[in-house]
Amino acid sequence: MPLLSETYACVPTTERGRGILISGGPKSNSILFTNNRSVLILNLDNPLDVSVYGDHGYQATVARYSPNGEWIASADVSGTVRIWGAYNDHVLKKEFKVLSGRIDDLQWSPDGLRIVACGDGKGKSLVRAFMWDSGTNVGEFDGHSRRVLSCAFKPTRPFRIVTCGEDFLVNFYEGPPFRFKLSRRDHSNFVNCIRFSPDGSKFISVSSDKKGILFDGKTGEKIGELSSEDSHKGSIYAVSWSPDGKQVLTVSADKSAKVWEICDDGNGKLKKTLTCSGSGGVDDMLVGCLWQNDYLVTVSLGGTISIFSASDLDKSPRQISGHMKNVTSLAVLKNVPKTILSSSYDGLIVKWIQGIGYNCKLQRKESSQIKCLAAVEEEIVTSGFDNKIWRVHFQGDQCGDANSIDIGCQPKDLSLALLCPELALITIDSGVVILRGTKVMSTINLGYAVTASAISPDGSEAIIGGQDGKLHVYSITGDTLKEEAVLEKHRGAISVIRYSPDVSMFASGDANREAIVWDRVSREVKLKNMLYHTARINCLAWSPDSSMVATGSLDTCVIIYEVDKPASSRMTIKGAHLGGVYGLAFIDELSLVSSGEDACIRVWRLSPQ
Amino acid sequence: MANATSGMAVHDDCKLKFLELKAKRTYRFIVFKIEEKQKQVIVEKLGEPTKSYEDFTASLPADECRYAVYDFDFVTEENCQKSRIFFIAWSPDTSRVRSKMIYASSKDRFKRELDGIQVELQATDPTEIGLDVIRSRAS
Repeated sequence: MPLLSETYACVPTTERGRGILISGGPKSNSILFTNNRSVLILNLDNPLDVSVYGDHGYQATVARYSPNGEWIASADVSGTVRIWGAYNDHVLKKEFKVLSGRIDDLQWSPDGLRIVACGDGKGKSLVRAFMWDSGTNVGEFDGHSRRVLSCAFKPTRPFRIVTCGEDFLVNFYEGPPFRFKLSRRDHSNFVNCIRFSPDGSKFISVSSDKKGILFDGKTGEKIGELSSEDSHKGSIYAVSWSPDGKQVLTVSADKSAKVWEICDDGNGKLKKTLTCSGSGGVDDMLVGCLWQNDYLVTVSLGGTISIFSASDLDKSPRQISGHMKNVTSLAVLKNVPKTILSSSYDGLIVKWIQGIGYNCKLQRKESSQIKCLAAVEEEIVTSGFDNKIWRVHFQGDQCGDANSIDIGCQPKDLSLALLCPELALITIDSGVVILRGTKVMSTINLGYAVTASAISPDGSEAIIGGQDGKLHVYSITGDTLKEEAVLEKHRGAISVIRYSPDVSMFASGDANREAIVWDRVSREVKLKNMLYHTARINCLAWSPDSSMVATGSLDTCVIIYEVDKPASSRMTIKGAHLGGVYGLAFIDELSLVSSGEDACIRVWRLSPQ
Repeated sequence: MANATSGMAVHDDCKLKFLELKAKRTYRFIVFKIEEKQKQVIVEKLGEPTKSYEDFTASLPADECRYAVYDFDFVTEENCQKSRIFFIAWSPDTSRVRSKMIYASSKDRFKRELDGIQVELQATDPTEIGLDVIRSRAS
């Protein structure tokens, strides 16, 4: 049975112009954030220790630990709040439909009995507070006319709730049962985040008008501001108090994070400005922050999580990153064992090192989208949606100048002859293009709709799969293809073809859930009945000694077959990636790496049979 | 043309062999075939009690429909030896449509003739008659 050995987590989903809210555990050093439909629990001490909750039916927006650390409440864009166990299997306790639109923020009361949720509702309710186990309402929340971006519960008695939103207002409610008390209109733009200090004496609201305002926790009166000299030059998206309540961390669209000291009179003085190194573009805008015990965590628009140490603010931060979108291709580099390259369709290529995790993002000179990726030694060949093939040499994390070759049509699949990597075979709508280096050798129209292709490592043979399920085997001489054989066994469009590393066999997978292993020389079927998937097969990989074949499918499972045994004695990994498995590669005889729609990459350890 | 739902005769041999399997346990499995020209269901293969499940799945053709009866022995959680008689309607996706139609419409009447079937299974490809599937249906 394959066991999960490492997970390289995805990063929080970010949106330009809005902040995101991340939260931390009350006892441990783990943080919670959301990516698409999953909620991730990441351990700051060990970023490889990550746990994923994938049961939301819609995009999840925010998640928070209960004050006793036992439960997590998470919310999504449909207005549903799910409360589930924080450990082990994440068993669901309750699910409530709280608002009629997306939920933007969620907070527990300090005794863990009530939850307040705020967001967008069509019509009446924009904020609701309810008992955690029964869902009964504990107050009436009028006073807002537009989307409520954030809410906070006073952590000490007497209980108060404050909310802030796009109507520039900060509202103060007393209770329980909660009633509107007063409203403050001190901001001149969206109020993005509002938080109580841990002792409940003050709360601070930050806004897109670059100001942060402090209020008294019991009465709601304004007591002071963050000082305007050295203040942020862009919208402030999030704020977080230190555990002792004397300092505050704010992050802003001006790509910096600032630590302020809050004096007793309620004014804030700048203590330190923290900036992270980055590529300097829009992706460096900071959108989320958290002060978790000794760690200061900031999240940038591009998804980079920077972890500073609170006790030593001058130390440069540890940066973790990953993918935000569907990871469509994986490549394992041979010459530097244990290095994995992954690419997602938004054009991001990330380098990972097995055992350590995130290594770096490849800094590409052009940022086009990537559909297919093939990597050999220190060269990457990518194709996107713009009729061009890019060949790039990379060293460490820097890419050299990319050579682009315009092939005239959109490339559908890409395959490199591994022993002579200048030879590449690219399939286009109804034909193929043979590339040698950066020159198009020939464009051949084959007359049928082509869906997948593979070229043998020595470049002498190519197999092209069509929409009708037929596999055409061609021999390559110079720049022409000569058809040698047509194999008909598949009952659906071919989705992937791969040669085995020892070139004695090849395997093909189709959209009708079936995979077949063929003998290369005799072109006979070697292993059939590999029909155990329940949706189209997306990717296929051979183990380095050619003894095992793994297939990954849209049904989120990865199945590993041994070529010498019948197909029924297979190993299945169920639920490998929420949304479907899109990339698969073997690292060595016993380790398999897979990637999928949930933007995570997982390494599995196979026990020898 | 005779109507398959009411017109398919069942050869006496089928009933006799099934009763022997049920009462005297002389066979592990029986494979039935519909002989179109004689419009009859006849016994095609018989398996001895020593045969295994793999022998049974190997005896089903990959692209033709069949009916089959299998006597499955297993041990429950409380450590009791139990057995279940399975009726398998084998209708692979790769067989001809006419064949699938005839077998599907004659199945009910044929099953009624065999008294004592405990579990029914329909399989359209080899993955659906895997040993794990049978074991999960047995309990």
